[in-house]
Amino acid sequence: MIYAAGIDVGSTQTKSVIVNDKLEIVARSLIDTGANVTKAGERGFTDALKASGIRREEVVYVVGTGYGRYKVTFGDTQITEISCHAKGASYLFPATRTVIDMGGQDAKGIKVGEGGDVKDFVMNDKCAAGTGRFLAQAAEALALPLDDIGEISLKAKNPVRLTTVCTVFVESDIISYLAQGKKIEDILGGVHSAIAARTISLVRRVGIEAEVTFTGGV
Amino acid sequence: MGIHEMVAQYREMLEDSPLNLVAEWKAKHPGSKVVGCYPVYTPFEIIHAAGMLPVGIIGAGNRLEIAHADSRFQSFVCSIVKSTLELGLIGNLESLDGIVFHSICDPARNLASVFKRNFPKLQVEYVHFPQNMASPHTVNYLAAEYRTLKSNYERLAGRPVTDDDLRKSIRVYNEQRKLIGQLYRMRREAPQNLSTLETYVLTRIGTLIPPEEHIGLLKEAIAAAKERDERPKDRIKVVLEGSFCEQPPLELIEGLEAAGCYILDDDFLLGWRFFKQDIPSEGDPVENLARAYLNQSVYSGVKHDTREAKSKHLIDKVRETGASAVVILAAKFCEPALFDYALYRRALEKEGIPHLYLEFEEKMWIFDKARTEVETFVESMLFD
Amino acid sequence: MAKTAEANKTNYQGQMHLLQKELMGNYFNQMTRAAEHGEGKAAYMLISGNPVELMLAFDLIPVYPEINALQLAVKKVALPFIQKAEEIGYSMDNCAYVKADVGLFLGDRKTPFATIPLPALILCNYVGCNVYLQWFEHLAEYCDGTLYNLDIPFMRDPSGKPTAADVTYVVRQLEEVIEICEKITGKKLDYAKLKRIVALSGETGEIWSRIKGLTKNVPSPFDSYFDSVTMMAPLYCLRGTEGGLKFFETALKEMQEKVDMGQGPLPEERFRFVIEGPPPWPYLRTFRDLFSKWGAVAVASTYSTVGGLWEFGFKHDSNRPLESIASHMLEWNLTNRNFLQRYEQIRRYVEEWSADALVIHSVKSCRLFSAGQGDMREYFTKELGIPTLLVESDIEDPRYFSEAQMKNRIDAFFESLEHKKIVRGAAAAGGAT
Repeated sequence: MIYAAGIDVGSTQTKSVIVNDKLEIVARSLIDTGANVTKAGERGFTDALKASGIRREEVVYVVGTGYGRYKVTFGDTQITEISCHAKGASYLFPATRTVIDMGGQDAKGIKVGEGGDVKDFVMNDKCAAGTGRFLAQAAEALALPLDDIGEISLKAKNPVRLTTVCTVFVESDIISYLAQGKKIEDILGGVHSAIAARTISLVRRVGIEAEVTFTGGV
Repeated sequence: MGIHEMVAQYREMLEDSPLNLVAEWKAKHPGSKVVGCYPVYTPFEIIHAAGMLPVGIIGAGNRLEIAHADSRFQSFVCSIVKSTLELGLIGNLESLDGIVFHSICDPARNLASVFKRNFPKLQVEYVHFPQNMASPHTVNYLAAEYRTLKSNYERLAGRPVTDDDLRKSIRVYNEQRKLIGQLYRMRREAPQNLSTLETYVLTRIGTLIPPEEHIGLLKEAIAAAKERDERPKDRIKVVLEGSFCEQPPLELIEGLEAAGCYILDDDFLLGWRFFKQDIPSEGDPVENLARAYLNQSVYSGVKHDTREAKSKHLIDKVRETGASAVVILAAKFCEPALFDYALYRRALEKEGIPHLYLEFEEKMWIFDKARTEVETFVESMLFD
Repeated sequence: MAKTAEANKTNYQGQMHLLQKELMGNYFNQMTRAAEHGEGKAAYMLISGNPVELMLAFDLIPVYPEINALQLAVKKVALPFIQKAEEIGYSMDNCAYVKADVGLFLGDRKTPFATIPLPALILCNYVGCNVYLQWFEHLAEYCDGTLYNLDIPFMRDPSGKPTAADVTYVVRQLEEVIEICEKITGKKLDYAKLKRIVALSGETGEIWSRIKGLTKNVPSPFDSYFDSVTMMAPLYCLRGTEGGLKFFETALKEMQEKVDMGQGPLPEERFRFVIEGPPPWPYLRTFRDLFSKWGAVAVASTYSTVGGLWEFGFKHDSNRPLESIASHMLEWNLTNRNFLQRYEQIRRYVEEWSADALVIHSVKSCRLFSAGQGDMREYFTKELGIPTLLVESDIEDPRYFSEAQMKNRIDAFFESLEHKKIVRGAAAAGGAT
């Protein structure tokens, strides 16, 4: 049996998968990247090997991706996560034409062709508004666990309007809504609408075409 | 010296403290005056003809922490405006006797006034470049503008400028531009032998030293570069557009190529490569300079010539160089470049030329995101 | 202590407001008729120092994309147009006036106030603002109108005056514009008509400057920022017409009456301030109320001089129509003057209009106005000792207005002014005994 592996060294976590020759996932691992990026790639791969009992020699091809892709020193090639998201989404959902990837620090829109090739793509600028960070900031301002805010926001009846597009200002806006006695679910509803609006305007730059596949942690 | 050593040496000077070069020149030439030139273009000949040294004041790169200027210019103003002011506020422009700004954009124009108020010892000039390129009356206007500039510089230099002085300077700068053009041509024809970073460093050093010295240096570099014979790598060929004012960090220029492209042409340091042909050195020199601006200068985001669309120039450039794609590299908050992009994008899509849009700031330190974007773009073209 | 917001809201509606509504309605209807029924030809221009007198002499309909954009913002319908422009490549960081206008232009050009006609002439009066050049360059790319860049040299001479070459250059260009208009309309310039129109502009400008002088009174009869807006539309859209003149005569009379009765826009005028920068159109009322609640009245504003600076002595001269149009474009408007001239203008406002403070509204979209306003604040606070507040938002894009932030800063500023007033009052009382 021969296998191939993909290792995504991301800013917070390192994800590894091993697939067999039928492209079925036979092993995976998820670890914190930590300070040593090279080690994280190595450790993630070893963990996946251990979990599956596959020997290292059996893995004939290794691809590194993510911001630490060049630190996957044992890899055969490096491909950007944007190309990977496009390929992956298209493999799972062959009719994918648009990929929206929402991560902790960035958001991307990718226009894909048949077979998952990247036709066009767009990333948010360095401002973190419209990314997971924006949600985390909102959760913090309301002293709620990040995992809970999605559910609470679904109860919103009259979502507030957040006029600012800045992560830094979202806190003061939230506080002023709290002072006005707005309900927490309505504030969170507003936060989610704001992030959705921001993402849509980002992705519209490449053109939104059905089907849309979402990837990323948010 | 080989080209590698030359570039390494100049790169260090540029990264270290470029204005030291100017201070050194001044120490060696007591009583001489230096005039700083803000991008994009300055008629250097007029300053040079008065016996002064025109030098490029093109921001402060990514090694200077902005600590004062951002209380004067808001967060939504581009980096170069702030870093240039910062240089003044921390006393790094002491070796300048004058500085000249131009009507390139709204923040640069206000910067000229802010300089005037904050640095009364500096002779601050402001040139209004005409934006009506089509009228036959414009040349008279611009010649008058240049004559005013000339008399202001005669005052600063404390000596008159004759037509012959000007003609001599025109010939010097013609020579300098011709050699820079040759460097660019060599890179275009065999980008594996001369990188964009090298071309850039060799050009940029010329913004800080007398043109006569730069001419010698360029001749040496061109001879050395001819010795190179590298194998071309598997890279896409692109034209780079959008960095006509604020300049990207050297690491970014280097990174763009390493991420998989050969840059066949760019618009870096555009004011020092502003004319493709020589400016005539016979006849009325001031009028010649004015005519050259109107009829011979290259297109850019700060010159709005109704006679021909900028996008047509860009597409011609792609066709002429044989590039297969365009990388738009625009400075964050640079309105001229950002506006241009909307029309460039439209025209490139119509022509079926793929492009990548990137933003940079001169003060950026981390290049991962840009690198990822360029690599993805290269992947999307090579895997096609 | 701040009064409740309700007590201090301004609700004045006079004859001038009714007349304004009627005249502006007619102006917009004329645009709609041109767009929908082909009645007349449109000339696009920009607000700052424009040669509308020439357009009117040819019966061309002046259309101002800036006014269209600001109307969209006031009516709170700008955002979808802005987003549409961003989808096709305009940046988050580009001027939102342009984006709203481009979004509108590329659609059916229908708005709640008018349908915008396509231009026969795209006359880019480049008066300071570099974005203007690109704005009209883009519009020209999207339609068949004739584009002409009317290049106005910036005020860069230390004297603050245009050079002789500047004036000649502009006059020569105006002559070229005349030729183009003759081609577009198929008729020769009626010089006598031009003179009449220029004379109307001269009278209108003079009345406007008298109106602006009235705010030197205590209390000021109207707010020179928020109420000037009502008068700026007719000044720009109707200058050089009988209707425009009539409007300003009415306004002067009404405002003079308020002076005579000692009335101001608020029940009590407690602070007088000068304001620099354009208003946040999408939140104009909200913004105004933040000042009204403190009894603060703007007695002078730089924004109301974008189109022309009549209050410092300029008047169109019908005996030299082209030269005086050139002079207006070059020298007698805010945007073609350099930043230090603006400092000087504000300084005069503070002194001659006896203001307590300066408020700078810094807008992201318009860097002509805003770039460097931090230095301006430095100058007024440190060099002149004038209390200065700087707040940020935008003229067009509702996404940049944070009411919580704005309120905080404005309240803190007026609290400290109030404190100073009390301390000063106490000191004066102490000194008297």
